[in-house]
Amino acid sequence: MKRFLFALLVLAALGSSVFAQPKIGVCIYKFDDTFMSYVRNTIETAAKGKATLSVQDSQYDQPKQNDQVDQFIVQGMKSLAINMVDPSAVSVLIGKAKAKNLPLVLFNREPVAADMAKYDKAYYVGAKAQDSGTMEGEIVADYWKKNPSADLNKDGVLQYVMLIGDPSNTDAKFRTQYSIEAVVKAGIKVQKLAEDTAMWDRPKAQEKMAAWLTAYAGKIEVVFANNDDMALGAIEALKAAGYFKGGKFMPVVGVDATPPALDALEQGFLLGTVLNDATNQGLATWELAYSLAQGKSAATAVAPLANAEGKPDPKGKYVWVPYQKVTKDNYKQFKK
Amino acid sequence: MSNGATGALKPRSQVAREFASKNAIVLVLLGLVVAIGIARPSFLNPANLVNILRISSVRAVIALGCGGILITRGTDLSAGRTVGLAAVVSASLAQRADYASKLFKGMPDLPLLVPVLAAIGVGLLVGLLNGSVVAFLKVPPFIATLGMMVIVYGAVSLYVDRPPMGAQPLGGLREDFTNIGTGDTLGIPNLILIAAAVALVIYVLHNKTRLGKNIFAIGGNPDAAVVSGVSVWRNTLLIYAIGGLLYGLAGALLAARTGGATNNYGNGYELDAIAACVIGGVSTSGGIGTVGGMITGVLIFEVLNNGLVVLGVSAYWQQIVKGIIIVVAVAVDIRKYLVKR
Repeated sequence: MKRFLFALLVLAALGSSVFAQPKIGVCIYKFDDTFMSYVRNTIETAAKGKATLSVQDSQYDQPKQNDQVDQFIVQGMKSLAINMVDPSAVSVLIGKAKAKNLPLVLFNREPVAADMAKYDKAYYVGAKAQDSGTMEGEIVADYWKKNPSADLNKDGVLQYVMLIGDPSNTDAKFRTQYSIEAVVKAGIKVQKLAEDTAMWDRPKAQEKMAAWLTAYAGKIEVVFANNDDMALGAIEALKAAGYFKGGKFMPVVGVDATPPALDALEQGFLLGTVLNDATNQGLATWELAYSLAQGKSAATAVAPLANAEGKPDPKGKYVWVPYQKVTKDNYKQFKK
Repeated sequence: MSNGATGALKPRSQVAREFASKNAIVLVLLGLVVAIGIARPSFLNPANLVNILRISSVRAVIALGCGGILITRGTDLSAGRTVGLAAVVSASLAQRADYASKLFKGMPDLPLLVPVLAAIGVGLLVGLLNGSVVAFLKVPPFIATLGMMVIVYGAVSLYVDRPPMGAQPLGGLREDFTNIGTGDTLGIPNLILIAAAVALVIYVLHNKTRLGKNIFAIGGNPDAAVVSGVSVWRNTLLIYAIGGLLYGLAGALLAARTGGATNNYGNGYELDAIAACVIGGVSTSGGIGTVGGMITGVLIFEVLNNGLVVLGVSAYWQQIVKGIIIVVAVAVDIRKYLVKR
C-alpha cells in the first residue's frame, strides 16, 4: 500500500510538469482520411512544447466520438478541438462543453448555424465547402471556352460524368452541386450522362469510369470528381482506354491538390484541382484552441474571425480558410 | 460415376435438372452476362469484358487465398487490410526516382522484383502470424483475424505517416511497375496471366498434394483428421501463410493496376472475397470448395459491379441488387447439397 501511494506521488510529480502546459483534446472523425491526416499533422507539429494534446481517432462513429469527449472532460482538458463525424449531431457535444464552460473548436465538418448559436464558446474552422465545387466548375468552364474542340459532338452542350464521394457527406453534395452550377453560371449548357458514388476511393473510381467508357463510348466530354483520388482513378481508366496518347484528351478535375494529383497535373493528365488548405485549417484550429485553452480571446493569424456567411466580424465565431484553384499555370507553388 | 453413365438410365428432364443443379453457379454467371448484354449490348464489347477480367484477376487472387482458409473451417477478416498494406509497401518502393513527394526521399530506382517481393513478403508475414495465433494459441479464426485486421490497418497507417509529408496517397509509380497491372503479354493482359497461373498452382495444391487432402480432411471433420494422423497445426499454419502470400501479391497487383495506393486500399475486400467464395460453392462450415467455384464467384461479383453501372442503376440500388444476388445465388447452389441428404 505504501509503495502504491509512493507511486501515485511520483506520478503526480511527473504529471505536474506536464500539466503546466494546457491540455487540449482533439478528435479526428477518422484517421484514414488523407486530408484530415494533413490537418492532424499540422496541429500536432504546432502544439509541440506548447500544449499537451490527446488526439483520438473517432473511427467514423459519432457515439464513439461522444464517449471520447466525455473522457476529455473527465481528464480536465482546457479546450476541445473536434472534427465531427456527423455535424448534425453537434448539439449533444455543445451541451457537454457548455455544462463545463469548456471552449469548443469544431473544424472541417460544419454544423448548421442554429446549433452554433447555442453556445458562445463554440467556434468553427473550415472552408466554405461550396467554393471547392465552384472553383472546380470554373476551371472546367475556362477550359471549355478556350478549347472549342472539347465539344466532341458539336452540340454546344457539355456532356459530363460525375464521381461522387460518400453521398451522405456534405462536401460531396456541395462539390457535386456547385461545380455544375458554376459551369451553368458561365453560360454553358450541360447534360449529365451519369453520376455514381466511388466513396472517395481510387480503385472504385477506376472501375466506375471504365464501365462508363463502355456505356457512353465517345460521348463523355468532361469528368468531374469530388476528390483527387477518384480523379486519378478515372485517369487510369482513361489511359487504359487509349486516352492521353496521340492527342486524345479528356478534361478531368478533382479537389484536394494531393501530391499524386500535382504530379498528374505536371504530366498533363489532370486538368485541374482545388486546394483545400489543410495546413492553414490545422493552424487556425490549433491557434484558436490554444488561445482559448489559456483563457484568452479567440484569435488566429490565418484568417479574420467572420460570421457564418463569410463576412468579417471581430465577434464572429467562424474562421474561413480559403480554397485555391490549382492548374498547370500555378501548380509548382503547391509542390512541397 | 460419370454423368453420362447415370444419364443413360434416367429420363432426360432429370439429367437436365441434375446438370443445372451441379452447375447452377456457372449458369447464374452466364445468365447475368446474357441478360445485361441484351439490355445494353455495349456491355459485351471485348474491351469491357477484358476490363472485367482484369479487375476480377486481383479479386480472384484474394479469393483463392481466402478460399483455402474457408475450407479448413477458418476465415480471414484481415485479407482486405493485408492487401492494403501490401499495396502501400509495394507502391512506396516503386515510386519514380524523380517524383517530388516520394515516401522515401532519395531512394534510387530498385529492381522491379523488389516492390513485388516486398509485398508478397509482408503478406506472408501477416499470414504466418494469423496461422500461428490460430494453430498454437487456439484463438478462433474469426477473432484472430479480426484482431489482425485492426493491427494491419494500424501498421499501414504508421507506415505511410512519415515526416515531412505525413500520411498521403502514394503516387508517381514507375511505368515498368504499373505495366504489370495495365500491360499485356502476347496480347493477353498480364493480370489475367498472373491470376491464371495462381489459379493453376492453387488447383494443384488443393487437388494433387498432401496439403490439399489435409485441409479438406480438417475442414470436413477435424477430430477424424487428427485421429488419422493429420498434423492440424502444420496445415493450418501453411494455409494461412499461403493466404497471406496471395493477399500480398494481390496488393502489389492492385497498386500496379490503379497506379497508386493509400492506407485505405483493400478496405472491405475480405467480405467481397468471402462472399465470392460462398457464391462459388465454398461451404463456410468447411470441407467443401473448388478453385473453379471461387473464380466463378468472383466473376459473378465483378460482372454485377460493372454491369449495374453500365445499365445506369443508381448507387443505392446497386447495393440492394448485389445483396439479393448473393443470397439467391447461395440459395440456388446449396440445393445440390440438400438433395444429397
